Amino acid sequence: MELFIQQILNGLTLGSIYGLVALGLTLVYGILHVPNFAHGALYMVGAYVCYFAMVELGLNYWVAMVAAAAVVALLSVLCERLVFHPLRHAPPIHDKIAAIGILLFLEAVVQMHWGADFRRIPTPYNEILRLGELTLPVQRLLIIGGAFALMGALHLYLKKTMTGLTIIAMAQNREGAFLVGIDANRVAMMTFAIAGALAAIAASLFAPINLVYPAMGHLVLLKAFVIIILGGMGSIPGAIIGGLIIGFAEALGGFYISSTYKDVIAFVLLVVILSIKPTGLFTKGVR
Amino acid sequence: MTFTKTIRRVAAATALAMGLAGGAHAAETVNIGFTGPLSGGAALYGENTLEGLRMAVEEINADGGIDVDGTQYEINIESLDDMYSPSRAAVNGKRLVQQSNTPVVFTPHSGGTFALQAFNERDGFLIMSYTSIPSVTEKGNELTVKIPPNFTDYVEPFTKIAMERFGKKLGVANATHDYAKYWTKAFVPAWKEAGGEVVASNPMDYNKSADFYTGVSKVLSADPDVLFVGGASEPTGLVVRQARELGFEGGFVVMDQAKIDEVANVAGGMDAVEGAVGVTPLAHSDNPGAADFVEKYKQEHDNVATSETAYNYFAMHLVARAIEQAGTVDDPIAIRKAIPEALADLPAEYNPYDVQEISDDGDLIIDAEVAEVVDGEIELRRISDLKDDD
Repeated sequence: MELFIQQILNGLTLGSIYGLVALGLTLVYGILHVPNFAHGALYMVGAYVCYFAMVELGLNYWVAMVAAAAVVALLSVLCERLVFHPLRHAPPIHDKIAAIGILLFLEAVVQMHWGADFRRIPTPYNEILRLGELTLPVQRLLIIGGAFALMGALHLYLKKTMTGLTIIAMAQNREGAFLVGIDANRVAMMTFAIAGALAAIAASLFAPINLVYPAMGHLVLLKAFVIIILGGMGSIPGAIIGGLIIGFAEALGGFYISSTYKDVIAFVLLVVILSIKPTGLFTKGVR
Repeated sequence: MTFTKTIRRVAAATALAMGLAGGAHAAETVNIGFTGPLSGGAALYGENTLEGLRMAVEEINADGGIDVDGTQYEINIESLDDMYSPSRAAVNGKRLVQQSNTPVVFTPHSGGTFALQAFNERDGFLIMSYTSIPSVTEKGNELTVKIPPNFTDYVEPFTKIAMERFGKKLGVANATHDYAKYWTKAFVPAWKEAGGEVVASNPMDYNKSADFYTGVSKVLSADPDVLFVGGASEPTGLVVRQARELGFEGGFVVMDQAKIDEVANVAGGMDAVEGAVGVTPLAHSDNPGAADFVEKYKQEHDNVATSETAYNYFAMHLVARAIEQAGTVDDPIAIRKAIPEALADLPAEYNPYDVQEISDDGDLIIDAEVAEVVDGEIELRRISDLKDDD
């Protein structure tokens, strides 16, 4: 039983990180219909900014996390302004190519400055709580708590504030949103900023139990894409539920079946769900 | 119109290229090739190996280059990125030989070595292979030198040390790439032969896993005495750290790809890797050349020297000397033949691993040291001494 609960916790840890990254991806997709391949690179830059602030400048973990969120949000907005905005009338393939370009560019810049070495962000929360056989490192609990708090905050922001509602309006119906006078530029920038901040916070939460290196975004990005396809492109609850499904599939599948096949399990799940519900679990568009 | 423009551009480019090539010919240069991962997940490993070559070449050129049959040559490294892919390594090999006329090509992976071996004898270049898989030289390729010792040399001593100290139950939790599979295939039978049993086998993809908690807890649920771990050092450190977090108190057998000191950095210090058996971190080695190299490396870099840098540094010095002895820059067979003599002449400061011999197959032979963490300190033993115990 303890082992089962342990795996549930592992699944929650992974699922909440995947969910946070997928949320940013799905928000951008919902508004601009751009599959932002550069999102994984933003996640990676977030981890490096956190590393820089914490290890090289000696700042507090939380300050570093806020700094990472701010820097990456800004970077994300810059990507929108400098790359995606000028391409808004171009065929969709151009956005995709540009996104891959940003991904390669950011990775190369980070590798140029910090090298390809693996780095570690030391966590101030090294304690490990033990409940019987259960191992609960505080950093992992922090990840789960932090991710869900952030998801809750995002939900409130989108539902209860005027700026949040403009994002949803844009996602639901672009022309309609223009008709009622919503500023598309502002909404696009806002969306990119939120997506970037979410990726940076996910990275800052997860990096202390993992490693920081230039290629770290690839894996998370791949998972995030699976998640938003699973959950329905552009759907917010889809990203959260999808994140948890993949997290649990990896943890439980990896434990009870085989670690070697844990990715296979996640992808088989994707195939099964898509063959039953081809549009994903939640229909397209933010509701 | 556009066609004439293109012609004009090509002409300009050709003129420029010829000008550059002419400039390069002013001082005689011999190109040495390198194909390895310089981007992607294995970029660090590739960079480390290339750095060893660079350091050696800098020293050689600073001393006026090499003297080949009365002519002074500077050495130039032509490095190409193959992202760890054998097919790209093969393409790179062709490019290096045809465009840069390299008599020697270094590659730091077995896949790349096998790919190059398909045509190196015909195209005429010597492969300096940094991989410890025995089959690289067992296939009878005349122009292949394998730089590090066979990994199979470590299997028996590792088994012996770990089993005597911790017990007979082994949990396999190493990585899933080809090299790790070679290790598992050699290690598991040796462990069983020594009277041990394998209670859990759950290899994990070290490069593509976001987290190891699940995999490690699966292995630990079978209650092993010793964990067999290994892949790149840092992910191995995470596996060790998470095993300790989950309450594992036994020992570790660390595959030679990971270095105990680097593993300890990630795992949370030497205490976390107590009871680990692995290859000797360079900084702890008591070979005469090791300290020299570590010192030299420290002057130019802020991190710690790794064995891949040291081995390739040594190999580059060896090749340069062999070219001098052979008296030719374009006959790889003569260069290969000159290696034993070059090895005998090589000063200890260029030979951090104290390599003594080269076999006819092209294996460089050393009496390797095995490291064990005892009470938070690294203790060293020669493989030859361990065998004498029997």
